Formats: sequence, C-alpha cells, structure tokens
Amino acid sequence: MTQTGPGALTDEENGMNLGKVVFGFFVLLALTLNFGFFLGDIDNPDHHNVYELFAALVVGLIATVMKLGERSQIGAVLLASSLVVDLQLIAAAVVWVMAVHVTDVGLTPAVMASIVSLSGGALLANLLSVVLLTLETTSINR
Amino acid sequence: MNAVLFLFFQRMRVPLITLITAYAIATLGFTLIPGVDDQGEPWRMSVFEAFYVVSYTGSTIGFGEVPYPFSPAQRLWTIASIYLTVIAWLFAISTIIALLQDPTCRQVIEHARLQRSVRRIKEPFYIVCGYGDAGALLTHALSSRQQRTVVIDSDRNRIDRLIVEDLGASVPAFCMDARVPENLIEAGLQSRWCAGILAVTGSDQTNLKIAINSKLLNHRAPVYARADRRATAANMRSFGTDHVLEPGVEFCRRLRLALTAADTFRLHHWLSSGPHATLPGAEMPPQGRWVLCGYNPLGQALHQTLEDLGVDVTIIDNGAHDAKLPPGSILGRGTEAPTLEEANIHDAQAILALTHDDADNLSILITARELNPELFLAARENAGSNHPLFEAAELDFIGRPSLVVAGLILSQISTPLFQKFIDLIEAEDNEVSARLLERLGHTADAGPPLLRTVRISHRRSPAVARALDDGEEVLLDALCRDPRRRQALLPVVPLLLNRGDESWLCPGPDIALVSGDRILFAGPRSAAAQLDKLLFMDRALNYVRTGEDQPGGQLWRRRPAQSS
Repeated sequence: MTQTGPGALTDEENGMNLGKVVFGFFVLLALTLNFGFFLGDIDNPDHHNVYELFAALVVGLIATVMKLGERSQIGAVLLASSLVVDLQLIAAAVVWVMAVHVTDVGLTPAVMASIVSLSGGALLANLLSVVLLTLETTSINR
Repeated sequence: MNAVLFLFFQRMRVPLITLITAYAIATLGFTLIPGVDDQGEPWRMSVFEAFYVVSYTGSTIGFGEVPYPFSPAQRLWTIASIYLTVIAWLFAISTIIALLQDPTCRQVIEHARLQRSVRRIKEPFYIVCGYGDAGALLTHALSSRQQRTVVIDSDRNRIDRLIVEDLGASVPAFCMDARVPENLIEAGLQSRWCAGILAVTGSDQTNLKIAINSKLLNHRAPVYARADRRATAANMRSFGTDHVLEPGVEFCRRLRLALTAADTFRLHHWLSSGPHATLPGAEMPPQGRWVLCGYNPLGQALHQTLEDLGVDVTIIDNGAHDAKLPPGSILGRGTEAPTLEEANIHDAQAILALTHDDADNLSILITARELNPELFLAARENAGSNHPLFEAAELDFIGRPSLVVAGLILSQISTPLFQKFIDLIEAEDNEVSARLLERLGHTADAGPPLLRTVRISHRRSPAVARALDDGEEVLLDALCRDPRRRQALLPVVPLLLNRGDESWLCPGPDIALVSGDRILFAGPRSAAAQLDKLLFMDRALNYVRTGEDQPGGQLWRRRPAQSS
C-alpha cells in the first residue's frame, strides 16, 4: 500500500508540501497550547485558563486524526504519543468538570495542581511528538 | 484486518477533522455568548455545559434549552451550531458508506476475511490453483473426502460459481492471480498444514510459474502441475516438480493399453478417473485403419503411438499447425462429408476427433457415423460444460483432459502407491488385470473402488503392530476377513504390497506381514470401517486370526505384561 498523507515520503520531499505544513502546524500548536496552559503556579487557578485547555485538547484530537492511518514506524510512535496527549488532557478536563460541576469542591489548589500536572504529562508526550517529527524530517533530507 | 483499518482511517481523516472542528467551534460559541439565568442575571455557559448542549444538539437528540431558557443570541448560535454539526456528521457518515461500497475497500475486507479463514484451518489442506473443469472436479472430490481445500482463480465468475455451490466444508476462494508469489503465500502456501499445491489452470505458463514459486517458497509441500506441452513438462521436472501431469502423454499411454491390453486399460481408466468414473465397456478399439482429425500436439502424439503399434492412420487437418503433415494426409476440416470420403471413411475402422473446437469434434463424428455406422468413435472434449452433448452423441470413447488430470491427481493424493501399481500392472499380462477386474467388478455400479494405503506401524495399525511385537504371525489374509464373521471375506482386494524397495503385485493371502509394510487396498467405501476395526482393535484382529473371541481389549491384555 502506498503511503499518502503527511509524514510519508512523496515526490515533493525536498520542496514545500502543504500537507506537511498543516501536519507540522498542528503538532507544534498542540505543544505550544499545552505549554501555555501548563505555565504558571501549579496550584493557582488564575494562571491556568480553561480555554487554553479546551484549545489544547481540540488541537490534540485533530493532530491524532491526522496521524491515523500512517503505516510507517515513526508514524506509529507519533500516533501513540498523540493518543497519550489526548488521554492526559481528557483526564484533566474530567477532573475539572468533576471538581466544579459535579462535586462543588471548586478549583482548590489541590484540584488545580492535579489538573496542571496531568497537562504536564501531556506536554511531555507533545514534546516527544515534535522531536520525532523533527528527527524524521532531518532523516529525509540526509 | 490491519489493511482495512488503515484504509478506513486514511479515508476518514478529513471527515473526522471536520467533525472535531465543528464541535469545537460550536462549543466555543456557546461559552462566549451571553445568556440570562432564572434570576434575570447575566450568565454564561461553562465549557462543560456548552459541550453538553452541543453534544445533544449535534446528535439531533435535542433536550431543549438547558439549564435556563436561552437568550435570542444563544438561540441564533444554536441554529448555527445545529447546521454545522449535522452537516459534519452527514459528511462523516456518507464517507463511511462510500468507503464500504468502494470496490477497493470491499476487496480488502474480503481478502482479510479469507486470509483469516485460511489461517484458521488446522488440518492438512490443498491449494487448488485454477477453478476450471479440473479444478472444480478436484475441489468437489476432495471436499467430499473431508479434505480441506483453498481455491485460487483470477476469474471472478468462477469464484462466484464456487461460492454458491454446496461443497459441504467451507472452501476459501481467492479471486487473484496465482502467478504472483505473494498471493500464493496469502492462500496458505507457507502454512505448516499445506499438504500440496495443485496447479491445474488452463495455461501451461501459469502452471509453470505456480510450480516454480511453490517449490521455492515451500519445498516440503508436493506440487502437482498440469502441463499440456512437452517442453513445459520437461521444464517443470528440471526443478523438481513432484508430479507433472501431461494429459497428452496419458492419452497415448491409455491408447496403447487399449490396443494391447484391453483389461489393463479398463482397470486403469476406471481407477484413475475421479469418483464418478464408470467401468469402460468391454468393446475395444479395432486394429484396422484409423482416421485422425486435427494434427495438433495431441494428434501428433497419438499418431506416433498408433504408428508404433503398426496401425494404419489417415490424417485430416486444415494445415493450421506448424508440424509438417505426413504424406497421404488430407487437407480440410473433416466436418464435411467430401473430406471424410476422401479419407476413405467407408473402409476405416475408427475415427478420432481431436480439434480444439468441441462443436467441430461433434460435427466430425456425427457426419462420419452417417457415412459409416460401424465406426469406432472417439473425441476429445475441450470444455466440461459440453459433456452432456458428448454423452448424448453416444460415442465409444470421450477423452477429457481435465478429467484425466483431476483423476490422476486424486489417485496420487489418496495413495502414493497407486503410480507404482499402475507401472507394475502395465508390465504384466492382460490376464492379471482381467482377474482383478473380476474381483473388483461386482461393486462396479457404486462407482470405482476406493483406494487406500495401509501401513503396518504403531500409529497407523496399532493392533497389527502389537501382534507382531508379541512375536505372532499376521498373514495378509487376516486383513481381508470380516471381523464380524471370520468365514466371510471383506470385499477388499490387496493390489500391491510394498516392503522397502520391493513390491508385489496382487499379493497372495499367505504373505506374512512385517512392520513397515505398505499395502494398497481397493474396496467399496463400506469396507473401510471393517478394515479399520482390524487395524485398530486387538480383539477383532485376534478373532479373525484365531477364531477365538476373547473379551476385553488392550487394557486387559496389557496389564499382566506390565506387572511381570
């Protein structure tokens, strides 16, 4: 089966490839949004915006879908790390919802800390995605 | 399965991203648009509440305006998000449906399913390449013997025909090119249960490729390959194809037998023409002058055979073949009376119609019969679908290349000793075959006898092996007696006994068996169970040998031996 889509070897491997630009954009955006949310005091709700978490989750999901159907070895690892990101961020969102809407505990420092640390895990996986993507790109050019 | 999944995700990429984006936009909008709560205070949804609203709106469930009645601005956004999400869903679902109807995808799914079913076969199976006349015959015969088969054919129609046929066991049928090594592997060539590859397509080149691929990819599995041309057959033998089946050579062999040892021919033809073979009649081809229509490779080979036997042959051919016609030949198709009269059909004894066209063959023979009703009529049948026509024409002999190939393969599969038996009996007098036919013939109405090889070993015939271990003498006679009444003989006939390099044709009843002997039995299906009793049950074997019916089986007999 021929590989199509982002990340695969195509005829245009040395030139600009719109597919690759979009793919790299989403992977990088997932990392930056994730980082933006993570930045700040770990237990201070004022430093962590809910919209940033929402955006990080949505972009993370889109990045996952873009990696689906990749048959290369590196594509598989990218997909795995992306799934980890989604899992971590969804867990963070669920904790948020549980604290604010379900149990009325509110955003106490303890709750905030656990949300942010979950997103920290996602950050690590996002970082790995970017590193892998960079590695793949350099190995193609060699 | 992986291929299906990958294809699915590759095609679903765009719809899924659209769906996620639509949901994200709708959710975001709801959190930003101001509403009014039950107290009349300004209120905005949290991300959680917004996602809840979008979830039930997008899936068209619609719980209404929760938790407070919406403001006009929120209602406006609800309209927008309904169209956004519903259209995204429609896009995704239509992509899935299109994907399921996509021929590529269906092929991949079908392929994955077949591969799974091949992997699940945990018993020996044969790969039949080519579901033509020979392939269909083989598949049916093997299935009726509870042998599993896998079929490959590049013709979709044939595969469809196979699928609707009732074969008893499930036969995975691949529609693909058997010449491609990868396809053979998918069909289970490298499985440890693969018992053999039967290359019986209509094309020599294809059979050759299948044979060489199979030999290279799995040297343990025996290859049975059909070769219509002599050069192909030589090529196949050169790289060690286990069984090369040449219908032309086989026809010559049978023609020679029919003219020299009629009963050997009848026996051979009966035993090696598949499960529906009938015993050929006793009237045999005459020795006088023959007319042969069609000087193709088969015609040339048969001409050579007849000349060797000293038979006078006149050839009718339209000159379309490369070979130079022998002197005295007549140019023409043979379908018209003038050509046949030119060949002096009136004083000929037999006519062979060997062209590649079944309609021509029938026409030749019917015209010839009108000119000379005494003729012995023989035809080559090219397509199995024409068989009813040939039957209706009431010919004396119908040569069916596919049937010959299928029959030979079946005999060789069911017992490797068969070929040895045929070689030996051909060297014998006609009398030997005549006597054998007499012994086998009384069950002739129920089809040809079943051939079976019995091996004297602990695994295949434990009762006999144990008796031999105990130092007792077991005669071949014991295996031919009825375990219910020893005075009666079972309707089985031992055709051949093989011991090391030696073989005996029609072994007598007083031969003492030795461990490692292989015996080729022929008998009706019903006798198989009785023979099994003798091979596996000490009590039954002891009874037919000594006449004593001692109670108890192996357990009682073994116990004293162990305690001593």
